[in-house]
Amino acid sequence: MSTATTINSAEKDAPDLSVLARPPQVLNNRGPLWVTDAVCSIVEGKTPLWWYAAITLSGGLAAMGGACILYMIVTGVGVWGSNSPCFWAWDITNFIFWVSMAHAGSLISALLFLTRQKWSLSISRAAEAMTVFAIICAGVYPAIHIGRVWFVWFLFPVPNSYGMWPNFSSPLLWDVFAVTSYLTVSSLFWFAGMIPDLAVLRDRATTKVRKFAYGIASLGWLGTARQWRHYEMMYVLLAGLTSVLVVTVTTIVASDCATSVVPGWHATIFPFYFMVGAVYSGSAAVLTLLLPLRLLYPQLRELITPSQLDKVCKLLLMMGSCVAYVYVFELFNAWYSANPFERGAFWERFTGSSAWYAITCLSINLTVPQLFWFKAVRRCLPLVFILAILCNVGMWFERFMIVTSTLTHDFLPSSWKDFHPTIVDILTATGTLGIFFTLFLLFIRFVPIMSMNELKAVLPGTQPDHSRRETH
Amino acid sequence: MSHHLPIAGSKDEPLYAIGARFETPEALLGAVERLRREGVSAYECFTPYPIHGLAEAMKLPKSILSFLVLGGGVSAILIALSMELIPSTLIYPLVVDGKPLNLSALPQYIAIVVALTLMIGAITAVFGMILLGGMPRLNNPMFAWDLFAKEASRGFFLAIDAREKKFSIAGLSDLLHELGAGDVTAIHLEASESPQGT
Repeated sequence: MSTATTINSAEKDAPDLSVLARPPQVLNNRGPLWVTDAVCSIVEGKTPLWWYAAITLSGGLAAMGGACILYMIVTGVGVWGSNSPCFWAWDITNFIFWVSMAHAGSLISALLFLTRQKWSLSISRAAEAMTVFAIICAGVYPAIHIGRVWFVWFLFPVPNSYGMWPNFSSPLLWDVFAVTSYLTVSSLFWFAGMIPDLAVLRDRATTKVRKFAYGIASLGWLGTARQWRHYEMMYVLLAGLTSVLVVTVTTIVASDCATSVVPGWHATIFPFYFMVGAVYSGSAAVLTLLLPLRLLYPQLRELITPSQLDKVCKLLLMMGSCVAYVYVFELFNAWYSANPFERGAFWERFTGSSAWYAITCLSINLTVPQLFWFKAVRRCLPLVFILAILCNVGMWFERFMIVTSTLTHDFLPSSWKDFHPTIVDILTATGTLGIFFTLFLLFIRFVPIMSMNELKAVLPGTQPDHSRRETH
Repeated sequence: MSHHLPIAGSKDEPLYAIGARFETPEALLGAVERLRREGVSAYECFTPYPIHGLAEAMKLPKSILSFLVLGGGVSAILIALSMELIPSTLIYPLVVDGKPLNLSALPQYIAIVVALTLMIGAITAVFGMILLGGMPRLNNPMFAWDLFAKEASRGFFLAIDAREKKFSIAGLSDLLHELGAGDVTAIHLEASESPQGT
């Protein structure tokens, strides 16, 4: 940038536009062919050894989780630590944890697409995949936590001879519809965005099996101008619908708690509380997943640039600050309400038997994201990785605190009872981690992890220069 | 047949299209504008990513998908409201916590309406895109052209339908060469294929 003293009179009129230049989308001036090769090589290359090791581990965890769920179904929910009055414990804690993590994926791809934030293009596909897999993990719990799983069809509005009909006024039923919609829409968003890229894999396939599989998956995509016209329209529409859906789903999940009259839950700030917490934990999860991927596949270092990671860190910082604000506001609200039960609930949360996890939650979520104010921290990727994992841990404790500390300390001290997780609780929760990582590993191996068509369309020199051409 | 173009597909089968490859999106865009001026209308462009201005140059109409999604969303609102209100207030009136059954209770039904509207809107968007784009389709006569089958993900292709009557094949091939196209090829159907519309 030139300083004021060196500008001569001719240059003075021309504004210095270099300050407005965006950091490059892909480093080292790589062209579209390089992007295609770099992304496809992950799917087309030989399966690395670490992948087999990782999927064996995560698949084993998932199988263990499945075994625990089966054990719970045949024995009953008594195998969990849930008790009276803490009827919801790790089941709903983990449900909220996973469904919240899903939100950042949708927001990164949909909302940042609508606001034309091109930096998110190279991470949006992985973030969407994370969304879909996290919703699958979340969906495990609502179905099984009802105890008698064979009655799960009571939740759906099917005419039946019992003369029963779901209670549409209940937030728990809203939840069923919200999560079903969310899973459907985010899977569609993810798959539809992948169709042109699957066609690239089909065209590059060298074996008959691959050609057939990717041929079926890409639905016969040819990339005609007409197809692109409809495709681009669909993408905008889906991004718009998804953005609204994310807010709706969080609000509904928050209503599960907020519409009850239990002190500590009955607060209008809950939807916002869940929303910011969701984007916060989701951004942390995106970093947790992408940083190791960058290490394992060196070509991704040019596609997922430090500048893009820096922006995710800033998103994490902003959402972390919102979370901090909500924590403070919640305490203020409890005091300002002058409601002895509300005050008592919060006093008990930080001084009673739940103090250890409430304080763990607060001390992580109030401090860790604030470290991202420093550029040195944001640029030190190993540190970012550790801090991102810490943020996820902090958010899990937050969900645990919201659900458990509230239920274990309701109106009547005589009915208070602490919650202690059983080994089945712990193994089931670990099992969902296994399900998540198994799905993510399959995703890395079999589909393009980046939206090649979107990336190629914004690389320098890939679009016709309309300023140089005669207008028609 | 009075042309000397390389032939893809089976020579004895009917001609499907004249294919050409362009090196840059500008060249493709220039060719499209020229074809339009010459009055050629039955052609299609194939690009690895959306090219700004191409659909406008081809004078393609705006996608009707947004209207379909609007239709899907509106019907979803009606479906969701009837699914909730008819049973809950008429067939099996269900009074919970003394909440009323009349319209003042509407807010409690909104969450499901929103969720279903968004879901059916999204389903319409994706399946609408697939059907409007002529998908799903197992094969396409264009794949008879080996170069296209291999390079579609990196090249900018143009195919003029064989039903285009304004020019002879030789005339079209001269025009394409003049516009800077490479690999101009006559694409015939493959032996086992029956002719289908594009």
